[in-house]
Amino acid sequence: MGRSRSDLVVFIAKRLAQLVPVLLGVIVITFFFTHIAVSNPCAIWSGPKASPSTIAACVKNNHFNDSLPVQFYYYLAGLVSGNWGTDPLFHSPVLSVLLTDFPATLELVLAATFLMVFIGIPLGVVAAASNGRIADHLVRIFYLSGWATPTYIAGVVLAIGLGPLLGVSGGDFSTTSSPVPAITHMSVLDAIIALNPGATVDAIVHLILPAVALAFINMGIATRMTRTSMLEILPLEFVKTARMKGLGEFWVLYKHALRNALITTTTVLGVTAGTMVSGTVVIESVFVWPGLGRYAYEAITEYDFAGTIGVVIFFAIVVVAANLIADILYGVLDPRVEWR
Amino acid sequence: MGETGCGKSTLGHSIPRLLPEPPAKVTSGKIVFQGTDLLKIPKWRMPGVRGTGIGMIFQEPINSLNPAYRVGDQIAESVRIRKLRERGIMPALKPDVKGFDYSKRELPKASEVVTGPFIPPNVTQTLKTRGPPMTKEIHQEVLDFLRLVRINDPERIVNLFPHELSGGMRQRIMIAMALSGKPALLIADEPTSALDVTIQAQVLTLMKELMEEVRTSIMFISHDLGVIAEMADDVGVMYAGHMVEFGPVAEIFESPRHPYTKALLRSIPNRYKDEGVLPSLSGSVPNLSKLPVGCTFNPRCPLARDVCRVKPGPPFALLPPGPAGGMHRTACFFPDEVPSMP
Ligand SMILES: Nc1ncnc2c1ncn2[C@@H]1O[C@H](COP(=O)(O)OP(=O)(O)O)[C@@H](O)[C@H]1O
Ligand code: SF4
Ligand SMILES: [Mg+2]
Repeated sequence: MGRSRSDLVVFIAKRLAQLVPVLLGVIVITFFFTHIAVSNPCAIWSGPKASPSTIAACVKNNHFNDSLPVQFYYYLAGLVSGNWGTDPLFHSPVLSVLLTDFPATLELVLAATFLMVFIGIPLGVVAAASNGRIADHLVRIFYLSGWATPTYIAGVVLAIGLGPLLGVSGGDFSTTSSPVPAITHMSVLDAIIALNPGATVDAIVHLILPAVALAFINMGIATRMTRTSMLEILPLEFVKTARMKGLGEFWVLYKHALRNALITTTTVLGVTAGTMVSGTVVIESVFVWPGLGRYAYEAITEYDFAGTIGVVIFFAIVVVAANLIADILYGVLDPRVEWR
Repeated sequence: MGETGCGKSTLGHSIPRLLPEPPAKVTSGKIVFQGTDLLKIPKWRMPGVRGTGIGMIFQEPINSLNPAYRVGDQIAESVRIRKLRERGIMPALKPDVKGFDYSKRELPKASEVVTGPFIPPNVTQTLKTRGPPMTKEIHQEVLDFLRLVRINDPERIVNLFPHELSGGMRQRIMIAMALSGKPALLIADEPTSALDVTIQAQVLTLMKELMEEVRTSIMFISHDLGVIAEMADDVGVMYAGHMVEFGPVAEIFESPRHPYTKALLRSIPNRYKDEGVLPSLSGSVPNLSKLPVGCTFNPRCPLARDVCRVKPGPPFALLPPGPAGGMHRTACFFPDEVPSMP
């Protein structure tokens, strides 16, 4: 064990190998929950006016007459060969829908993470630096209110209250009418790639409120963790050393103290990934954002088993990836850590 | 010098205004550095005094280096700050020429050393060019400063992180870092107290050699009288947060003029003579937040009498010049009785 590049590669490979049992567990749980809760959704799928033969065909196609383990075998076999099932209404393949919707969610989550990192963390530094004084109390009020506000309320308030101010009409925050070619399916990135400043601004305007709503809860965690670890770091001798070099307070706080405080903050940021993706289900529905979260909501309400399990697999991958990134960052930030 | 807890570190930290304000507050007096009263300048200008004006070495080498950066980069940062100041790119507090009159300085010995920032003998002289300093030039200086503190393989050491170094090595790095700002005043707050005894001796020898090589005033804080006797030109003795005696090292050690100093010196064992039980001072150091009225030493002083127990206490008064010459001050009403003190 050490800190060489090959140690890091082994570390990442090991963590990716752990992904397999995690995904298997997630698939088993979601599969059996959905299929036990509603053992034969064919009547619902086919609608009230469907003929018995349509329903019978549906049951046969989906193996609903077989035992659960056999159904699971069929599902798993499809999954491995790239056939993740189809949705019951339009019979579009789940995997390709997921792949086109995923970038929008990724964009939203990345934007929210960006806000957490570039607003939440500096707020924590400000709070720690003014420990016990007014700025500290103001920051605390801010993050406690974020914490205490349910995601959907924050979403609705922002969508209705601020949406019109930004010129977003009808509560639809997706930029479907975007004039730039969809390369990455992330609106801001696509607009930047197309070198179109107007479209970039427009995309950011559309992105900002959903991102703020999503970031609002987790921002508090980032701020509070940063504040706590900064309060532990600031009394240490090397902070005085940094001051005695003649550095200004800004560099002392951000280059020397925060750099060490971040080591604890990153681990917490990895943990918030779960809250974040589950938040997208609510936020994307409120803001009509064309991503996985909204797809998850629709899939569940439509008894779309294949869609539901597919979304859960994607979410699980995102959470594991976020934690892996947090662990790597942790090791990169702290030279005392060895990859293992 | 002074016992642990008498306020040596507090005094040392208050000079570059490192104490957290609040709770710390300087209630009276001045901190005059190169003609400027540091208490009168706004706090945000203090960084301009630190590093290149006043450098500092701390007691605990375990925490005094940033664990997240390579030691070479940490020293380079100091060098860069100095270079940016030399080139006028970063603000620095200039000596106040009017207030900084060498001829009127109170400490004649020190005035010989503070005539200018020092140039370490083996540091490559670089041409003063305009614009930000180049990385190579800084790197070269970092290596030079590491060699100055007797590190033989600086090329390897610069790439290490603090946790990969021993306590003694870290303290050497700290010394190199403080010196790399070429400060006019270096405050060393018990730089060896936290080290193993053998390492302690090595670092002390290094400091002593550096004092000869490097033209910087050094304020060496220690509770170890033996170390002070070896290192110092002038000695200040502290008791209960106050300086009670100040004078040339020979006078302080041979004819102390404050009862506390005398008692302190008696507690050093004489290694050539069996003295049986060492005398110790009766009573204990007072709580610094509830100091006795009048002279702070009066509850423990064998010479104490009524004037010592009322306000105001003894002034920190100048004594007539002694055989060693130089200034000798003491905060006692009866300095002449100290030599014959029981
Ligand atoms: N001048 C002073 N006024 C008030 N309190 C002081 C003063 N000097 C020291 N103290 C208190 O005494 C404590 C010990 O002082 P310190 O400077 O750490 O002692 P030393 O370094 O000599 O061991 C400090 O925590 C501080 O609160
Ligand atoms: S002033 Fe009085 S109490 Fe204080 S040291 Fe002198 S004799 Fe002792
Ligand atoms: Mg101390």
